[in-house]
Amino acid sequence: MPHSQPSWAEFVAGWELGIYRDAIYSGALAGLVLGYLGVYVVLRRMVFITAAVSQAAGFGVALAFLIQIHLSLTLPPVMLAITLSLATAGLFALPLERLLISRESLLGVAYLLTSAGSVMVGDRISQEAHDISAILFGSAVLVRTQDLQALAAVGSSALLFHVVVHRGLLFAIFDPQSARVQGLPVRLLDLSSFLLTALVVSVATRALGVLPVFAFAVLPGVTGLLLAGRAPSVLAIAAAIGALSGLGGYMLAFFYEFPVGACQTVVAAAPLVIALPWHFVRQRLRELHSPPHPSAPPSANG
Amino acid sequence: MTSRPLIRCEQLRVGYRGRAILPAIDVSIGAGELWALVGRNGSGKSTWFQTVLGLLPAVSGSVQRAPDLRLSYVPQRLKLDELFPVRARDVVAMGLERNWSLLSMAGKRRQRARAALQRVAASELADQPFRALSEGQKQRVLLARLFASEPQLALLDEPTSAMDAVAERDTLRLLDTLRREHGTTVIVVCHALGLVREIAEQILFFDAGGSAVISGSTKDVLEHEAFRQNYQSAEAGT
Repeated sequence: MPHSQPSWAEFVAGWELGIYRDAIYSGALAGLVLGYLGVYVVLRRMVFITAAVSQAAGFGVALAFLIQIHLSLTLPPVMLAITLSLATAGLFALPLERLLISRESLLGVAYLLTSAGSVMVGDRISQEAHDISAILFGSAVLVRTQDLQALAAVGSSALLFHVVVHRGLLFAIFDPQSARVQGLPVRLLDLSSFLLTALVVSVATRALGVLPVFAFAVLPGVTGLLLAGRAPSVLAIAAAIGALSGLGGYMLAFFYEFPVGACQTVVAAAPLVIALPWHFVRQRLRELHSPPHPSAPPSANG
Repeated sequence: MTSRPLIRCEQLRVGYRGRAILPAIDVSIGAGELWALVGRNGSGKSTWFQTVLGLLPAVSGSVQRAPDLRLSYVPQRLKLDELFPVRARDVVAMGLERNWSLLSMAGKRRQRARAALQRVAASELADQPFRALSEGQKQRVLLARLFASEPQLALLDEPTSAMDAVAERDTLRLLDTLRREHGTTVIVVCHALGLVREIAEQILFFDAGGSAVISGSTKDVLEHEAFRQNYQSAEAGT
């Protein structure tokens, strides 16, 4: 008997039964929040912070199991995962310029150490590996209501913070030295932004899995930067693309029976594929039609 | 000129990781003065600059700043991110941020940013993406940001390095106007010795070998033996 694709009526029926409502809400919400935060991540040239934070979370869960097995001490794996994620994110707010190490390098170090730690600890608790995977990485197909609630809580907090401090944060990333000279709390802004982003990444990874979370944190931001020239427009575009990717990706997966996370990633990448040539053509046209740079000197008379 | 000191360096040694790269510096910079920082590349100007700004810790000695001093800084253009999605007037508006003002409403930032751009004859750049500007235009926008911030003490690190000779001259004259009309103290790193002679009242000279830092009136420093040894060939062409 030939296999037929799911119909719209089946989708509506499932929606009304609430089977995947939380998963779709979670995808759209994570896409919106991470799309927005991802602009700052991309501007900081730290797109792999998501990967490092996820690895740190994995290390935290593995450690919780190891401690339980060998020390008979029960620690909530999710709490340890979040704690290590936040500690990793907090590293990036250190005064790295004094250590002569770039954030990119530190990102690599954090990723490698937590990966190696996860593998080594995992080797001692192999029978628990399945549990670790289940705790860490959701499938994005079915999301628990409490995961959606957690995502809504940390996502709205992170979004609110970034909207409120938008002007200062942008200045602090664009020209941190001048911002510090003018008295802006650059270090605090950086630290808060990193910690909130890490928290969202941890909670979203738990609900949806690594792949879509990484995609939401990178692809909409890159697309927004290609399509718009002003930060508010870039942030709005990135958030919209992220939210639509979460929603559209789930529907694509439902109707064509693909893995959800991969579909959300593909849908998030689609606007980028369009934006790249568009941006290139627009740049060329601007160069062709723009007048030469005006050379009028400033007036000493004010 | 005798005026209330805004910055006083006492036996200040600057450097990195606890190692001084210059001899101790004693200098007092008063309100409404215009100082030029002069020295060859690598002579330690930027290190002193960053220490005075509080971006680097002093190796020893002290930097005393007047209480509630409104500082503003124009960095070397190379340090700014070229990909940022901001227009020229957004960059200028950054000059209006100070301390926790980032939590307040936007207010009249747009008008004040436009006024500052007008001040440096760059009104036509207001809505241009910053990343699309020429290097000289970017420096004018950063100058407008400095004006918008209404500082008591303005520190500029090679603010004219990408400008042509005419724009450079007019920019330094504009800084002189800022000093005269608003009483702003200006400290500027500049390599154009002819303009330094014309505009600066005081010079802090950094010897190329790191063996001496000489401060004083423009006339005295330009006639100093160490200065002459550093700039003999340049002076010949000035």
